[in-house]
Amino acid sequence: MTLQTPPETRSKQDSPAALLKLRGISKRYGDFAAVEPLDLDIFPRDFVAVLGPSGCGKTTLLRIIGGFVSPTTGTVEIDGRDVTKIGPEKRPTNTVFQGYGLFPHMTVRQNVGYGLRLQKKTRAEIDDRVAEALRQSRLTEFADRSVAALSGGQQQRVALARALILRPKVLLLDEPLAALDLKLRHTMQDELRRLHQEFGGTFVFVTHDQGEALSLANRIAVMNAGRIEQEGNAESIYAAPATRFVATFIGDANLLQGERHGGQVKLEAGPAFADAGPDGAITAVVRPKAVKLLAAGEGADVQIAGMVEDVVYLGDHIKCSVKIMGEQQIIVHLDAAIAPRPVVGEQVNLGWPLLQQRVVVA
Amino acid sequence: MESRSNYWLVAPSALIFCALFIAPMAFFAVLSFWQVEYFELSTEPTLANYRDVFANYWRVMGFTVVVATATALLTTALGFVFSFLARFRAVEWAQALLFIVLITLFGGYLMKIYAWKTILGNEGVLNSALLALGVISSPITSLLYSPQAVVVTLMHFSLPFAVLPIYASMRGIADSEVEAARDLGAGRWPILSTVIVPRCQSGIVAAFSFVFLIVGGDYVTPLLVGGKLTMIGNLIAPQFGAQFNWPLGAAMSIVMLAAAVIVIYLFRLLVALWSRQ
Ligand SMILES: Nc1ncnc2c1ncn2[C@@H]1O[C@H](COP(=O)(O)OP(=O)(O)O)[C@@H](O)[C@H]1O
Ligand SMILES: [Mg+2]
Repeated sequence: MTLQTPPETRSKQDSPAALLKLRGISKRYGDFAAVEPLDLDIFPRDFVAVLGPSGCGKTTLLRIIGGFVSPTTGTVEIDGRDVTKIGPEKRPTNTVFQGYGLFPHMTVRQNVGYGLRLQKKTRAEIDDRVAEALRQSRLTEFADRSVAALSGGQQQRVALARALILRPKVLLLDEPLAALDLKLRHTMQDELRRLHQEFGGTFVFVTHDQGEALSLANRIAVMNAGRIEQEGNAESIYAAPATRFVATFIGDANLLQGERHGGQVKLEAGPAFADAGPDGAITAVVRPKAVKLLAAGEGADVQIAGMVEDVVYLGDHIKCSVKIMGEQQIIVHLDAAIAPRPVVGEQVNLGWPLLQQRVVVA
Repeated sequence: MESRSNYWLVAPSALIFCALFIAPMAFFAVLSFWQVEYFELSTEPTLANYRDVFANYWRVMGFTVVVATATALLTTALGFVFSFLARFRAVEWAQALLFIVLITLFGGYLMKIYAWKTILGNEGVLNSALLALGVISSPITSLLYSPQAVVVTLMHFSLPFAVLPIYASMRGIADSEVEAARDLGAGRWPILSTVIVPRCQSGIVAAFSFVFLIVGGDYVTPLLVGGKLTMIGNLIAPQFGAQFNWPLGAAMSIVMLAAAVIVIYLFRLLVALWSRQ
C-alpha cells in the first residue's frame, strides 16, 4: 500500500462496545443474491451511511436490521441481544421509511403519539412527550393538521419525530432526503445532524448520494452488488479507497490500469514504480486535485506526458482534461489562479507523488 | 379557488342522477300520500298508507331490516377478509381472486339461488355428503327454506358488491403505512384496528350499504329458498302488480328507505367511532 491510511478512529478489534453487530448476514431471492454474506459493526452514537448505487442491496440490508426482511444467513445483534428472529414491533429500532408511511387518517399529533399509545402510556405522559417531540421537530404549529396537508419536508419531520419519540437504540432511515428538492435537502441535512446531536442516538441511513453520505455521516459503508466494499470514516474512504468501485463512486478519480509483478507496477500508460502486493492486474487511483502540471525540469514520483484537450474554468478551480497514451484521459484540477493557463493542444507533463496515489487490485 | 365555470362539467352526470334517481323518488314520495279507492287514484293527500304500513306491515318490515342487517354485516366481514387476503396476504393471487369474485356476478342471480337450492336441499349436496360421511342419519330438512338459506344465498349474491369497494380502499393503503405501524410496535390486531379498518372506512360503509339495499329490496330469494318466509319486497312488488295499490307500495318503499338510511347511518357512526384515534 502506497498511501498512508489516515488514522482510523477505531478498529474491529476493540468492538466489545459495538451496539449493532451484523454477522454473516446475507439475503437471497431465489437465485439472486440481494445481499452477499457480510459483517458490520455499528457503535453507539454513530451516524452511519450505507452508500451505494441503486439496486445494490441497501434497502434490503436496512430492512434486515429493522426486522422487515429475515436474512437468509447470519445474525443481527443489538446491544448484546440476538434479535434475528424478532419482528420489527419488538425490536429496539425504528425506521423512517422512504415514502414516510405516515397515517393519513391521523393528525400530526396523533401520528407522533402512535407508538406511545400502543405502549399504553398514560395520557399525561403521552401528551408531554408528544409536545416535546413536536417542539424539537419544530412541528408545534402543525400539530393538529392532517399529515396530508403538509409539505414534503414537514412530512419528513413528522416521520422522524414519530420514530424518535420511542427513543430507539438504532434509528434507520431509507433515502431520507431523496424525495426532497435540492434546497430543502440541505435544510434537512442540517436538521438531521442537529437531531442526531440533540437525541444522542445511533443513526443508520441509506443513500445513493455520496455528497449526502460525506456531509452527514461519521462512518460510511460503501456497498456494491450486495457487498460492503469498504467501511470507515469519510476521510479514509476518500483518501484510501479499497477498491476501484469505491474510488469511482466517491469523488472524482483518475483510474490507470496496470500490472504488478514482483512488487513492481507497470501502468499501461507508461510509468512504472515499486508497490508491494500480489501479482496481477491493478488499478492506480489518483484524485484530480493530486495531479500537477510539471514545469520544465521538474520531477515527480509518477510522470506522464500528454496533450491538453479541454480547459474549463469552474470558479474555484480549473478543470483540465489531458489526453495520454492509449486514448486515455486524465482529469486535473488546477488552482484557478494558475498562470499561465494551459491551452488546448499544448503538450504537458503530468506528475504526482506516490503518497497521493492508491493502488487497488484489478 | 376553482373556477366557477368548472361546475358545468358535472352538469351531465347531475342531470342523469336527477332523471334516474331524484325524479322517481320524488314521484314515489308524492304518490305515497295519495290513495287508491275502487281502482281509482285519488290525489287527496292522506296519511292512510303510512298508518296501514305501521299497523299491518311492521313485523315484516322489522324482519326484513334484521335479515338485511345480518346479511350486510356478515357479507361486509367476509368481503373485508377476502379483500385483506387479496391486498396483504396473497398479493400475487390478487388478480385471480378478484376475477373469481367478479365472474360470479356474470353467473346471474337465479343461477346462484338454484345453486344454493342444490346445495341445501333435502337431497342436496350438503345433506348427501353428511349422510355419506355418517355424520347424520336423516337429511337436515331445515337447511333449505329457512332464514339462514336466504342469508347465505344473498351473501353469495352480494359478496362482489362488498369486496369491490373494500378492496378499492385497501389499495389506497401504502405498504409503508402498515410497516410503519409494525415498526412503532403494533401487532396484528392493532394494525388491523388502528390502521387498516380506519383507512377503509368509506369502503366498509359502501359495502354495508350496497348489501343492505340489495337484501332490503329483494323479493325473489325469499320466494325460492325462504319457504314461507316473507320479506317486505314480497309485499311491495304485488302492490305494483296484482294488488294495484301503487300508493301503498310507494309508502312501504319510503318507510323501508328511511329504515335503510337510519341503519346505514348507525353503521357509519359505529365504524367512525371504531376508527377514532
Ligand atoms: N422481495 C424481493 N424479491 C425479489 N427481489 C428483490 C426483493 N427485494 C429486493 N429485491 C432485489 O434486490 C436488489 C436490491 O434491492 P434493494 O435492497 O431495494 O436495493 P437498493 O435499496 O440499494 O436500491 C434489487 O435488484 C431488487 O430487485
Ligand atoms: Mg432502496
